[in-house]
Amino acid sequence: MTTTLSRKKSESSRGVSQWALAWRRLKKNKVAIAGLGVVGLFALFAAFDGWPFVLTRNDHGLFAIYPPECIPPACAGGSLSTNAPPSLSHPFGTDSYGYDVYSEIVYGTRAAFVIGLGATGFALAIAVSIGLAAGYFGGWLDNLLMRLTEVFLVIPFFLLLLVFLQIIIKFSPSATGGLWLVVFIIGAFSWPGAARIIRGEVLRVREFEYIAASRQIGASANRILFRHLFPNVLHIIIVLATLQIAASVLTEAAVSFLGFGAPNSYTWGQLMNIAASYINQAWWAITFPAIFLTLFVMGFNLLGNGLRDALDPRLRE
Amino acid sequence: MYTDPILRVEGLRTHFYTFAGVVKAVDGVGLYLNSGETLGLVGESGSGKTVTAQSIMRIVPTPGKIVEGTIEFKGKDLLGLTEAEMRRIRGKEIAYVPQDPTTTLDPVYTVGDQLTEVIMKHQHVSKRYALNKATELLRSVEIADPQIRINQYPHELSGGTKQRIAIARALSCEPSLILADEPTTALDVTIQAQILDLLKALKEKFNIAMVLITHDMGIVADTCDRVTVFYAGQVCETGTAEQVFEKPKHPYTEALLSSVPSLALRKQKLSVIPGNVPNLIQPPSGCRFHPRCSYAKQVCVDKDPELESIEDGRSVHCHRWKELELKSAVAS
Repeated sequence: MTTTLSRKKSESSRGVSQWALAWRRLKKNKVAIAGLGVVGLFALFAAFDGWPFVLTRNDHGLFAIYPPECIPPACAGGSLSTNAPPSLSHPFGTDSYGYDVYSEIVYGTRAAFVIGLGATGFALAIAVSIGLAAGYFGGWLDNLLMRLTEVFLVIPFFLLLLVFLQIIIKFSPSATGGLWLVVFIIGAFSWPGAARIIRGEVLRVREFEYIAASRQIGASANRILFRHLFPNVLHIIIVLATLQIAASVLTEAAVSFLGFGAPNSYTWGQLMNIAASYINQAWWAITFPAIFLTLFVMGFNLLGNGLRDALDPRLRE
Repeated sequence: MYTDPILRVEGLRTHFYTFAGVVKAVDGVGLYLNSGETLGLVGESGSGKTVTAQSIMRIVPTPGKIVEGTIEFKGKDLLGLTEAEMRRIRGKEIAYVPQDPTTTLDPVYTVGDQLTEVIMKHQHVSKRYALNKATELLRSVEIADPQIRINQYPHELSGGTKQRIAIARALSCEPSLILADEPTTALDVTIQAQILDLLKALKEKFNIAMVLITHDMGIVADTCDRVTVFYAGQVCETGTAEQVFEKPKHPYTEALLSSVPSLALRKQKLSVIPGNVPNLIQPPSGCRFHPRCSYAKQVCVDKDPELESIEDGRSVHCHRWKELELKSAVAS
């Protein structure tokens, strides 16, 4: 009796990359997918003015980051009744200046993305440069960069942020670029932790034989750094970025809620700060921005944790 | 053609500057290799075989430094070249087959990407041409279904296949010298034999000279034309495989051969060399092997012997080689 062993040929000749495997693992993680969904909804929210319902559409530019001329103290006030409770035409009610809270939240979403992406982009640009350089070149450069990182790590960054903003507000109360300043300062002080993590990962990856192998085939230091080392630490950068977005937005919200926010900016923290004094007349004006802030931060954190599980090489099967 | 020897190393010293002190990993190594020949470098772990190979390619990892010596390849002094000139030699003229195939391929690129990277760097050809060439290479290292393998990622391949790909990468630019650093250590025994046969066949086919680093005397006997025995960063003796196996001239070689397990001899207990490889920060005075040598005399403690040429192509690093009658445990 003979049994025929048939060898099954793989249907396609394409291999499965580590990224494809990570995506498969991420898809299995329901919590992470929920986080991704929340992040996606917020992105749509920010991209389309008044999405999904067009409400009280005002004449301010469709894709303006925030409408400086419509900041409550600066313009004459909304045309709506003040502190109106949630209704069909204003699902989240109106605030003490007569603005539709839903519209304000939409603008706040844009500001949140500007803060999150801007600060994270800035912070990670520094963190990646320092982490890669310190980890790959080592020696005195590593020593110098890591000591610099430690100096930044011990600076009380929140206090510094408050001081800087207070100075800006004092000297130029009508400044419109304040939000970018907040982004800049958050970014400039958020990189040390990430830089150390990236350096650690570079130190680990650097010892792999394939880095030595690329030297053996005559690759230059630049090529090794950007074509072999960087893609292999990219997974940790993605996770750090996702978590940093949430952290940056939360920091800005805290600053704004304390009343140190960039003047003339329209963020959830600002909304909550203004609405806080009217909490007994209009609870909705502070509650809904707070809910959106929480959802936003939670969405990015869940996604970040899911990505970490999906990308962590120690958990790879 | 070029004049032999294709590779000549003389008085090579490579030291590692660590916090604990200067580790003299390679201390006065000399060897040579004719074209098309296989030279085996044997010795215990930490005897400087790998560092010697890294020095030849000038890829000694920090904090290591080549302190002095000459490395002549095809009549060119490699230590006098600039880094950019050296990069044109690595992978093209001198190729390296690494020890551990499991991590030698970059996990984020396909097999094809990694082979074309070398081909395109050194031969300045189009991606399409390089891919065809890569497929040919996979076929020449006897990989089944090269069209499928070329699009796969390293984690989808077995250790043996990865080592074949590493060999294909080493061969991709038709080098005249291959440095194979224990190419079979991480593989299981059946695959080891296949990989060695493959290396031998390809070497014959393309007339490549090979430096084979190993600690397996069986592999040396099977594969190498000549042997250089390393101990503590120095050369003990050099000779053809027959000479070294039949008539060892250095006590360390004798001890090494008697520690080879053998079914034929059916010894009760495997003999071992007493002691450890010496600390290379403060190596023993005189001959570095004297603390473990059963023939050591006062002169061995006091004075480091010269590496003496004793007959054609044979050299020994021992004070007493003339008087000693050493036996080989494996001589037939």
